[in-house]
Amino acid sequence: MQNAISKPNETHSIHANGKQALRIKCPMLLNAVDLHKSYYKGKIEIPVLRGVNLALPESSLISIIGQSGSGKSTLLHLLGTLDAPDRGEIWFEDQRIDNAARRYRDKLRNQKIGMIFQFYHLLPELTTLENVLVPRMIERSAWSYLFNRSKYVERAKALLEMVGLGHRMQHRPNQLSGGEMQRTAIARALISQPKLLLADEPTGNLDRQNGDEVMKTLTRLNREEGITVVIVTHDESIAQRADQIVRLAEGKVVEISKAA
Amino acid sequence: MYKLLLSWRYLRTRFIALASVVSVTLGVATLIVVNSVMDGFITEMHARLHGILSDVEIAAPGLGVIYHPEFHVNEVKQILGDEVEEITTVVRVPALMHFRVNGFPMTHQVLLIGIDDESFGKVTDFHPYLMNEHNRKKLTFELQTSGYDESLGFCGWEYRRLVAESNGHYLPPVDLPTDPNLGSIEPSLAKHDMKKRSVSNGRLPYLPKSIPDLEQINETNNLAMGPPDMRDPFDHHFSGPALEDIFDPRRDQYTGIVLGMAISSRKYKDPETNENVESFLIRVGDDVAITLPTAGADPTAVRENCTVVDFYSSRMHEYDSTFAFMPLSRLQKLRGMIVPESGMRSISALQIKMKPGANLDRARDKLLARFPPFETGYAIQTWQDTQRPLLSAVNLELTILNILLFLIIAVAGFGILATFYMIVVEKTKDIGILKSLGAPSRGVMSIFLSYGLSLGAVGTGAGIIIGLLFVQYINHIAGLLGYLSGREIFDPTIYYFDRIPTIVSIWMVIGVACGAMLIAVLASVLPALRAARMHPVRALRYE
Repeated sequence: MQNAISKPNETHSIHANGKQALRIKCPMLLNAVDLHKSYYKGKIEIPVLRGVNLALPESSLISIIGQSGSGKSTLLHLLGTLDAPDRGEIWFEDQRIDNAARRYRDKLRNQKIGMIFQFYHLLPELTTLENVLVPRMIERSAWSYLFNRSKYVERAKALLEMVGLGHRMQHRPNQLSGGEMQRTAIARALISQPKLLLADEPTGNLDRQNGDEVMKTLTRLNREEGITVVIVTHDESIAQRADQIVRLAEGKVVEISKAA
Repeated sequence: MYKLLLSWRYLRTRFIALASVVSVTLGVATLIVVNSVMDGFITEMHARLHGILSDVEIAAPGLGVIYHPEFHVNEVKQILGDEVEEITTVVRVPALMHFRVNGFPMTHQVLLIGIDDESFGKVTDFHPYLMNEHNRKKLTFELQTSGYDESLGFCGWEYRRLVAESNGHYLPPVDLPTDPNLGSIEPSLAKHDMKKRSVSNGRLPYLPKSIPDLEQINETNNLAMGPPDMRDPFDHHFSGPALEDIFDPRRDQYTGIVLGMAISSRKYKDPETNENVESFLIRVGDDVAITLPTAGADPTAVRENCTVVDFYSSRMHEYDSTFAFMPLSRLQKLRGMIVPESGMRSISALQIKMKPGANLDRARDKLLARFPPFETGYAIQTWQDTQRPLLSAVNLELTILNILLFLIIAVAGFGILATFYMIVVEKTKDIGILKSLGAPSRGVMSIFLSYGLSLGAVGTGAGIIIGLLFVQYINHIAGLLGYLSGREIFDPTIYYFDRIPTIVSIWMVIGVACGAMLIAVLASVLPALRAARMHPVRALRYE
């Protein structure tokens, strides 16, 4: 098992060893080196990740697949700096981010890494348009936001048009369907023009048709805009639409393969 | 920006939180009302207490006297220098006042104060409380024909004449219509030293010059039952005293006396009209008799007839029900406070008015140093010292009320705390979302802090509006409550205030508002901290 992840694979650009990967010319957007993470239930330690190595080249579309409990969501949270690993390092654009200052990580999540969740996670009090604008509001001070508001609103509207929600801008999340909510979440993730999009089971709660829509959007973003997209899923058919498939089991990468 | 937007949206969509600020509103409104009313009462009370009492007073102990008043006045002027505005001397003595109500003799105890009208009026707010407009300018201790307040009803010279005539004091019918002066007796000519004025040259066959006391006068109402030494009024050959020497209550008055309003008036509610009615046991123009002790080591009682020339209404019941004023010189003479050989007079107390802004306590201390109590026995007090028990009781009351009411707001604070905690728990997922989108912990915290602040502002604002409206219409509200409950909330017959006095201090309102806001913010700090410390992953997973 350990061998499978330590196989160097130059051409496929996925590297088991982060330190090595840094030296490789192909630009790596994100490197994860020997990530360990455990949760505690009372005093009992439950290991979730036991030494995960991962390197994401720029503009790649990667899916992480595994059974539930295999640690794929935890891995995504670590990559998105929502959580810190117990051991190991994460490098983003040649900067170590896992132990960076909280403000730096907040800024990173706000401007460089977009996140999409299975349960959409929209703010119920805000309209579709406002939800999309939230990252901008967080980024800017109240004055600077108000000063640039028309610019931001224009972009948010363009994004919503792009995901096909031009007619839903003033609706509240509870007036939207699951697919619409997820597309809103995608638009929100894109408002700050991130380099990396982390999607945690983006289709997990959607029917096939809506799931297809979302996947098409994500693929298009990767192809046309060059955004690196990581999709965590347990659905083989979804995973197969990525360039690379990382298989996770019991907290370890068991296989890295090219999509069929 | 998201902080403002979200706290505004939370405010608009979580009406239950508004319910939690109702208690803030009520607390703020109550504090404003209570403070305004108490402030009104205290200010009114201070004004009256201070107005009646002088700034600083040097008083002889008990019924004792201060000799050499001029010396003392000079001494005080020297010690206090420019800070002294005016000094007056008074004689104070407890006395008994006799009068008749419907023929029944009554006795009332009073504190008789002999005053020098000119300087006394400068030292204390004495004149504004008089009921006659002429006396308010200058008190002459003479009965007036006009200028009495309408509330006193029928009084003055006209009343006195009518009473005298109905009691049988009449001039011979032949003289009456031809006398040009009778209809317009000038009260200023009536002297309080009982010097009589002639009405006509004829002789009046009754009432000798020396009238022993008032009761005899009253008893001579019926001439047939006159004093034993009286002659038959129809005996035209009677050769009594000259007419001008005879006391005639229609044109003559005794020593003028100003009575506290509450001594003579009784307020009650008319059961038919349900209105407050004032009835008078004594009216201006009536005669009373005063019995008082003489000064000195061996006091004896002396008696003096007086004519009520005015009422004194400070609306401080304590004073209105005990004070009676008469001319200083007359009282000194009555009490034997004038040394016959030298003409030196003694007094009971020196009252000093200081210039505005003078430090009364310091002035008192200086005087205490000059006239040490262990040597002189003088009581030297500022007006606040004199009323200390009352003032400190009222201040204590106000302090306790404020503490209690702030506790109400504090209770409201715990209500906000609980509500906010629930809201933070409810919004756990939103907090996770915001953090995943890069919102710093401080930003998340400030959402809930500004939420608390805006709730506090809403509650406080509403409280201020309700409180100020309540104060504005407090008398209407008291009336309405009285009407609804059938019991009068504010009874003017008890308080001697026509309406509830209120003073709204802008600083008090600001203080109360800040206090309430502070409590609201403090109550939201704990939930906001909890929100800020929330782990984003756990918050996102929260169901």
